[in-house]
Amino acid sequence: MSALVLCMDVGFSMSNSEPGQEPSFEQAKKVIQKFVQRQVFAENKDEVGLVLFGTDGTKNGLAKDGQYENITVHRHLMMPDFELLEEIESELQPGGQQADWLDALVVCMDLLQKETMGKKFERLNIVLLTDLNVQTSADQLDVIIDSLKKAGITLQFFLPFPVDGEDRADGGGDGPGPSAAPARPGKGLSRQQTQGLEMVKNIMTSLEEEDSLEEVYTFSDALQKLSIFKRIDRRPMAWPCQLTIGSSLTIRIVGYKAVTEEKVKKSWAIVEAQSHQRDDVKRETVYCLDDDNETEVQKDDTIQGFRYGSDIVPFSKVDEDQMKYKSDGKCFSVLGFTKQELIRRHQFMGSQVVKVFAPRDDEHAAVALSALIRALDSLKMAAIVRYAYDRRSNPQVGAAFPCIKEKYECLLYVQLPFMEDLRQFTFPVLENNKKFTPSASQLSAVDALIDSMMLVEKDEDGESVDVFKVNHFPNPQFQRLFQCLHHRGVNPDDPLPPVEPWLKRDLERPQAVSARCQTALQDVKTKFPLKVVVKKKEQKTSADVFGSSADEPDAKKVKVDEETEFNLAEIAKGNITSVRLSCLKSVQIDAFAYALLTAPAHNVLHQSGNAELFNSYMQSLKRSVPDRNLQEFWDLLIQDALTLISKDEVDGSTFSKQDANQFLAFEQKEEVQAAPVQEDTGDVDDLVSVSCLFGCFNDKHIIYYICECNSDL
Amino acid sequence: MAEWRKYYPNEDDEVEEDEEDSGGDYKISGRDSLVFLVDASKEMFIKGEDGEPSNFDMTMQCVRSVYTSKIISSDKDLVALVFYGTEQSKNPRNSFKHVYVYHDLDSPGSQRLLDIEKLLGEKGAQFAEKTMGSGETSLGDALWCCSNLYSDIKLRLSHKRLMIFTCRDDPHRGDGAKDRQARTKAADLKETGVVIDLMHLTKPGGFDVSLFFCDIVSPPEDESELGLQIEPSRKLEDLQKRVRAKELKKRSQSRLTFSLGEGVNLAVGVYVLARTATKPSAVKLHRDTNEPVRTKTRYFHAHNGGILLPNDMKRAQVYGKKQIVMEKDEVDKIKKFDDPGLVLMGFKPMDRLKLHHHIRPALFIYPEEEQISGSSCMFTALLLQCSENNLFALCRYIPRRNTPPRFVALVPQREELDQSQSQATPPGFHVIFLPFADDIRTVDAHVGPTASDEQVDKMKEIVHKLRFKYKSDAFENPVLQQHYRNLEALALNMLEPEPIEDLTMPKVQMMNARLGPLAQEFKDLAYPPDYNPEGRPAAKRKTAESGGGAAEKKPKVEMSEEELKNHVAKCTLGKLTVPVLKDAYACKQFGIRSTGTKKQELIDALTMHLSK
Repeated sequence: MSALVLCMDVGFSMSNSEPGQEPSFEQAKKVIQKFVQRQVFAENKDEVGLVLFGTDGTKNGLAKDGQYENITVHRHLMMPDFELLEEIESELQPGGQQADWLDALVVCMDLLQKETMGKKFERLNIVLLTDLNVQTSADQLDVIIDSLKKAGITLQFFLPFPVDGEDRADGGGDGPGPSAAPARPGKGLSRQQTQGLEMVKNIMTSLEEEDSLEEVYTFSDALQKLSIFKRIDRRPMAWPCQLTIGSSLTIRIVGYKAVTEEKVKKSWAIVEAQSHQRDDVKRETVYCLDDDNETEVQKDDTIQGFRYGSDIVPFSKVDEDQMKYKSDGKCFSVLGFTKQELIRRHQFMGSQVVKVFAPRDDEHAAVALSALIRALDSLKMAAIVRYAYDRRSNPQVGAAFPCIKEKYECLLYVQLPFMEDLRQFTFPVLENNKKFTPSASQLSAVDALIDSMMLVEKDEDGESVDVFKVNHFPNPQFQRLFQCLHHRGVNPDDPLPPVEPWLKRDLERPQAVSARCQTALQDVKTKFPLKVVVKKKEQKTSADVFGSSADEPDAKKVKVDEETEFNLAEIAKGNITSVRLSCLKSVQIDAFAYALLTAPAHNVLHQSGNAELFNSYMQSLKRSVPDRNLQEFWDLLIQDALTLISKDEVDGSTFSKQDANQFLAFEQKEEVQAAPVQEDTGDVDDLVSVSCLFGCFNDKHIIYYICECNSDL
Repeated sequence: MAEWRKYYPNEDDEVEEDEEDSGGDYKISGRDSLVFLVDASKEMFIKGEDGEPSNFDMTMQCVRSVYTSKIISSDKDLVALVFYGTEQSKNPRNSFKHVYVYHDLDSPGSQRLLDIEKLLGEKGAQFAEKTMGSGETSLGDALWCCSNLYSDIKLRLSHKRLMIFTCRDDPHRGDGAKDRQARTKAADLKETGVVIDLMHLTKPGGFDVSLFFCDIVSPPEDESELGLQIEPSRKLEDLQKRVRAKELKKRSQSRLTFSLGEGVNLAVGVYVLARTATKPSAVKLHRDTNEPVRTKTRYFHAHNGGILLPNDMKRAQVYGKKQIVMEKDEVDKIKKFDDPGLVLMGFKPMDRLKLHHHIRPALFIYPEEEQISGSSCMFTALLLQCSENNLFALCRYIPRRNTPPRFVALVPQREELDQSQSQATPPGFHVIFLPFADDIRTVDAHVGPTASDEQVDKMKEIVHKLRFKYKSDAFENPVLQQHYRNLEALALNMLEPEPIEDLTMPKVQMMNARLGPLAQEFKDLAYPPDYNPEGRPAAKRKTAESGGGAAEKKPKVEMSEEELKNHVAKCTLGKLTVPVLKDAYACKQFGIRSTGTKKQELIDALTMHLSK
């Protein structure tokens, strides 16, 4: 847990701005808002205080005899809540005074020291947001630095301009963010600001040994990458264990979750729509048999079972616990060592990476682990280990890779798959496939595209720089959620706001890359003909009708009643007794057509012999066209000349070729008139499943297509 | 493949949606079916040299492993086992001679597994001789019989496959009429969508596919596919691998547009090649009848008892004292940033893909020519050039509607074949999920002394002694295996489950033997004589256990209502630990029943109660 004081300059100089630029005050306020928003909605346990300086009034514990004036402790250390957000929104206003930022810093230190007394905080941090445009008295500087060090308080500065000119903007921030270029230091800085900047550098370099200036940010930096606030994030739990190699070699270790997917923690409760009360909604779960009456069963009358293939095996919780696999507790046991290249990156499993160190106080373990890490590193090998987090958790097999950094060494543990996790699919060949082999000019077009879209660029020193470091982006999901929660909290009746533009921008290709690749992209476009295959439902041919379904991720799913009987067997055997040609009446033609178009058709090839059956079906189908509203469907048959089987084709037929040809023509009007009105008789069963059988010719073979569909699409 | 939902239960919301996707897929397309058509002629029972199992035995082992894997992973799929060239006949209408349907098409269960076991090994050969015998061969009749098995099925079948296991390349010994009949029947089957594969086994003098079987089997998926395995399967592993590669129908999880830039879109299918398999969830059964029981969940109004429809409910979160309310569809829409798809951001050298940037298992993409023609060519060009230049493509990935984006690395993989010319790695891009800043924890590195060259060299010797060739399918999941053994034992009324071999346990004896004195030598170099790496933490645990120490040391902190109210007012309830909260929560004076165990639930309930 950490404690942090936000210390913001609200003095009058903060309200000044260059034409067309947002005043520093507004920028700093946004930084604070964003930060507090994140703290509130992520329900961070850290305590936050807010100190303003340059305020018209004075309210702080040190103010006495005209000292520490115009400094206001707006909020004492506590967990930030929605109220704080509202206060910032409405009460945080520019002041008309100026105050010494060093004085404000002292007030913050005092606040931190007094209010953290008796509590345990891992980290104390002060965040100063100021334009440094005020006269400061530097005579106390050494004392201040000294007490900061003594109290273990860290500092972060947020300024309207970068501390070291261009280097800061590029080197510190990864990526050429689309932010407006911050003002150059030196240029346009007042005397106080130049002086203040020197003091900032002075403080920061004396507080930390190296990279101290990395904790000085610009406002625009901060707005873009809230990850800057990571410094105050919670630390992962330590997992002490022992690495074992055989039974005689043991090394004490400590593991930490280093990378894992951060999820939205808070779930949504269900409330009654009018009262907004949770208590008004009662949830009830009932158990029922899978029979027609859905007979209810008491919970106590149920037992637990598992499927074992086609069997369901009753297996009580008690028995299950008794018989289940028992692991003998926490472990990190080496099973053997293997070449790193045998472990494929794409076969990493699980959702985390664990960093493994030796315990802090155990230098012997550190030496032993270091020997292992270095041995593995130089041999390009990794350890395959059995990993169990604790007695209750399932054991894993994973790989421990050596990782040697400038400042430290560790093992990186990743879970690997079990045999049961893998699916071996075979895919058709791509290379050496004449149809798909790209030509030399196509390949060079792709090469040019790749060149123009490289996200790694050389800087002045010839060092390559990654301009799109995804791992520095905050997850937009959280930002968006917090923005919406904040908005709805403040304006309960407003619709949700649009996604913030900068958030959207972060998800786009960097502008420079986008501009650079235009020519190459055009070239690729002309050299590779890419054509959307027209959706089957738009082109009505029977081949399409019965082609396999093209299911997009969002396409409506056709629900199929598996158990619907249709008796293909009998057809194939040639002695049809009954074919379920369930009524199609009152089925919407759209739904029906849709089903035909999407449901994968089953076809059964059948040699001659059943012409009569087919013909009689076709006749009955034709009769039912008007009252089932199947005209469109019938049109499909016409289109593909799917008609009666004539004598010419199959001997058994009683129809001449002419009969067959005329068959499809429809005396529609008369039939419609003749047909009794049968719509909406409310026969629900008919609406549920529709089977249909019809055919088309293929030399001397008849292919029967059976389609079934669910009409409640 | 069916019922992934069960096998891969929800890890989180998103995965849950995944399952719905593939579940839906399954429902549309119906069940997969597989017929094993096995030659039962005398030749099949001839034992190999050096006591190698006979072709028949090998086939049965293979069939058994398919049955077990179906039971575990796709229990709705249908499997049949048919023998041809038998003396006895057994088929539905007994219209075919010398065809023995051992199992008709049905989902495999415990009994069937037992049946298969009867056919294994030496005893199995005897049993087969006794029940079926070896006789005349008519592959045509056998195929006809199989086609009847398919047509007897009243369920919707999506994928129909028939595998012929034989070691005879000329089954009818030149009988032209029989050959012709077999070809016709095979053609009939293929017309109805059955894919016929040949799993040919070793035959002295070599198996000549071109003699007869080339006309029987289905043509390869596309003209360039290798088609027939020219080499017969000699080993069980080969055969199992071959069967396994064909046995599962590959289904894409989804089909997406992959946009390289304005107006340049190709279509790709997204496949899951690895996903953590977990125990299926339990089914509720009625105590008296063992019938499965369904659950229905209903929402009622607490005061008037009326049923609440989705429209009558909203979603809410409480922060401190502030309740924020949204409609259900607003909650969904918050997650929407763009339409589903892959959007290319640019390219990076492979060394920019960090080993430790791992948050979930990878996916795999392969072009979908049927959606956008030209996709395969474009895809191949990208694959070749990325792989040539050792680059990966960085993309933004939105898998479904109302799902927030993730950045992914598309890592090229060219096709590789193994020694037996079957595909070892398929061509396509692996989709590696990249972490956002939020996903990377700040870990304070422990900095300690480093090892000397001498110590490192000694460790190298140790590493060298214990090296092995890692294979990703070498380890079975002991938890799952135990679970299924337990079920098997219960289903088959066995006294106790068959023991499993836990491959995740270190082979300590062997390791010690291989290391010999090396372990001690290393310890002498790295550890002082009085150092015991196992000592301290163990000692600690002992004190904790022996005296019930931990519990006693920390006396139960019972919060007074006053204190709690204070916490509520200050919104600091979150700082209390779950046990303390639970204590307070379950405390009778508040009269709240503990229903949830999640911290947030406890806090919410307490807040609600105490701020009244």
